[in-house]
Amino acid sequence: MPRGVGRGAEPPSEEISEGPRLWVRLALLLPFTAILALFFTVPLVLMAVISLSRQSFARFEWALTFKNYVRFFSDPFYVGVLWDTLWLGFLVTAAALLLGYPLAYHLARTRTRWKPVLLVFILSPLLVGIVIRCYGWMILLADRGLINGTLIEGGWISRPLPLMYNQFGVGLALVHVFLPFMVLSLTGVIKRIDPALLEASMTLGASPARAFWEVTLPLSLPGILAGSLLVFSLAISSFVVPILLGGFKVYVLPIIVYEQILSVFDWPFGAANAFILLLISLGIITGYIKVAERALRGLV
Amino acid sequence: MERTGWGVRLAVCAVYAFLLVPLVVVVLAAFNAGNYFTFPPQGFSLKWFANFLRRREFLQALWLSTELGLWTAALSTVVGTLAAIVLVRGRFRGRDLVNAYVTSPLLLPQILTGVALLQYFSLLGLAQSYWALLIGHVVVTTPYVVRTVSATLYNFDLALEEAAQSLGASPVRAFLEITLGIIKPGVVAGAIFAFAISFDNFTISLFLTSPGLTPLPIELFAYLKYSFDPTAAAVSAVAIGITLVLMLLIARFMGLEEFTGF
Repeated sequence: MPRGVGRGAEPPSEEISEGPRLWVRLALLLPFTAILALFFTVPLVLMAVISLSRQSFARFEWALTFKNYVRFFSDPFYVGVLWDTLWLGFLVTAAALLLGYPLAYHLARTRTRWKPVLLVFILSPLLVGIVIRCYGWMILLADRGLINGTLIEGGWISRPLPLMYNQFGVGLALVHVFLPFMVLSLTGVIKRIDPALLEASMTLGASPARAFWEVTLPLSLPGILAGSLLVFSLAISSFVVPILLGGFKVYVLPIIVYEQILSVFDWPFGAANAFILLLISLGIITGYIKVAERALRGLV
Repeated sequence: MERTGWGVRLAVCAVYAFLLVPLVVVVLAAFNAGNYFTFPPQGFSLKWFANFLRRREFLQALWLSTELGLWTAALSTVVGTLAAIVLVRGRFRGRDLVNAYVTSPLLLPQILTGVALLQYFSLLGLAQSYWALLIGHVVVTTPYVVRTVSATLYNFDLALEEAAQSLGASPVRAFLEITLGIIKPGVVAGAIFAFAISFDNFTISLFLTSPGLTPLPIELFAYLKYSFDPTAAAVSAVAIGITLVLMLLIARFMGLEEFTGF
């Protein structure tokens, strides 16, 4: 009997191999789950506990207090940084969606034999280290960088344009860094949309533009949601880009975490900041998993 | 169905340019003679590469990153492949839960993993050790291996393994000779990917680094905070070259379309 005949109709016979036996399964799973438990879950729980401790006279002390959270939410500076972070994340996500959609659509539909090259183009920024990508933008955007330097030498402008060490530079580089994630999330979903649907709508008289708005776009909504949640969650937790292209003039929550942990050495407050970021991310991740599941189920 | 208009094509080309320009610029700056890279370039020079080779800290960092990447790839490939086999083949309750758990380090922002590991290792007295760096890298690279190997396992026809067993092979032998042979491309691609992720990792390393144990991205970051000269471009160009070679290897073993999941 062929495998996978109708979904949800699992064959009742148990004689067919059902994968490895229980103890084999456990033994195979154990190495990585043990590593994860010891070096991922326990450390995160510990971080949550440390965020409830206190710092006195520059020394760390175990305690059970919400003081760090109260300090964060009662200080306009930190609350302002939190809003700035979320706003920047929103802008970056919107820009990545606008730039990423045409790219994903083209990638999903094209039959060109250059497709592997296009995939290398999309993946290469993803795999090249984030510091190097920031450096590329610094070379382009700095006051004496490629754009400003060329414009000044050519006599087009007399003073450098403010391209870096502001929100513009940070946002631009963030879009660049996370665009591949958006494209990869979108392409899979767009590819699974049956082109026949589009053709049907057009033989029924819809213009290509209308067919896109009423057929393709609604059907790619799960991919749009999944990609947006992913990019947003990555953007609000990035700190290399804001440090290098913001020059400590653009403050975001991860920079506060970085400073508290590695410069100020206020572990409890740093951990509280990290935990706030963690809660936001967890909320987004839960949404992402639900959306991604629905995207797969609805379109297969 | 080739109905993409010129407007869309132009937009697509522009976005590809946006993706590639910053990387191209770094490589060009590395070969440019001047201190600042403007257009037109000030002439071809290899002096920044010579400068890179003269600086011991960069060479040591390059070596550390390579070694760390190799160890990370070896460890994460073994534990990741084992986990992937159970997750794809086993039908048991809670499989989705285990699956989500195993890939969770991918979804959680790395800065949180980094902070948590730093505090944990400090309390254990293990911070600032090679072990801390290695474990941190294994935690974040293994989920990628699990995903890559799973992708090849899904396409694998179980009947082959059953055939081997009905011909008298033990389950272990059937696995080693049939299954492993067929999923090898995925395992190799996963290993290369793990190396690439580790080699370029910045966030985890930043929290677990210590004097004398600085991977290349951290060394580069420290350098860029205080100076802007194109030696950094030469270092970056070398790293970009290594990444490109790794990606071509992945393409050769697995095919990039299967690798990205579409």
